[in-house]
Amino acid sequence: MITAAIIGNPNVGKTELFNRLTGMKQHVGNWPGVTVEKKIGSYSYKGEDIEVVDLPGTYSLTTLAADELISRDYIVEEKPDVVVDIVDATSLERNLYLTLLLLELEANLVMALNRWDLATRRGILIETEKLSELLGVPIVPTIAPTGEGIESLKELISMAAKAKNEKRKIVVGYGEKVELSIAKVKDAFCKDATLSNKYPPRWLAIKALEEDEQVLKLIEKSSHRAEIMAAVR
Amino acid sequence: MPKKRLNELEIGDKGKVIDLLSRGSLRQRFMDMGIVRGAEIEMVRRAPLGDPVEFLLKGYNLTLRQGEAASVLLEVE
Repeated sequence: MITAAIIGNPNVGKTELFNRLTGMKQHVGNWPGVTVEKKIGSYSYKGEDIEVVDLPGTYSLTTLAADELISRDYIVEEKPDVVVDIVDATSLERNLYLTLLLLELEANLVMALNRWDLATRRGILIETEKLSELLGVPIVPTIAPTGEGIESLKELISMAAKAKNEKRKIVVGYGEKVELSIAKVKDAFCKDATLSNKYPPRWLAIKALEEDEQVLKLIEKSSHRAEIMAAVR
Repeated sequence: MPKKRLNELEIGDKGKVIDLLSRGSLRQRFMDMGIVRGAEIEMVRRAPLGDPVEFLLKGYNLTLRQGEAASVLLEVE
């Protein structure tokens, strides 16, 4: 069975797409934070069962808010086969921030450019092929209310699940100076095999430099605590 | 160019972010929402009692409390 997690900014039609995928009847509310609990559904595609987890809508993946932490923990700890990033095509710039955070988490991403009809109506034209190439992520335009693009999305999810272990390119670079620090901290993290097997080392390094509370806690528990902290400072 | 706090903008006023005066989680949240150096923000409208205030940035609308908006420093034309 394939596990796919659905994530995206609040109010991008995430729950509606979830319902479209799984056929589950649910109320789609408009209150921010409507999906703080974990919702699971499933569907079959070409004889394969896909379990879909609807994660809370978030703008970011910090440890400061409960819903963001739920999403981040799920992706980091449970490692779903595929993460479906629902992006609002009418507000690409804001939405892509979360996308980049997910790429940094080395999630196996598939992107649905939802509200495609609205974007088109507003004269927004997105070169999906170019975007896909830049991010290294397969992209499909979707219109949740009509179900357009859902079949293609299902296909992309199944394809992505098969390509799960392929190496992804690094999209976000932080400039020479910061990259040097990242490399140093990353090397220190790599000495702790349990930690670096469980979490992407580059992500750990970036978060350690950001003084992310959770990652600092992980360092405290590490057998190579002193070395890692020395590299961070 | 004159400097202003985000909460000092009137309807239709635009500015460019030059600094965030808050620290910690509020600063992080601001940056998550796209309020970063160089970002352009326009004041759209104010709630009847003056708080909160709605802004337009990066193609979407964001509503902030007056107090929070006060910690964003802008350059205005």
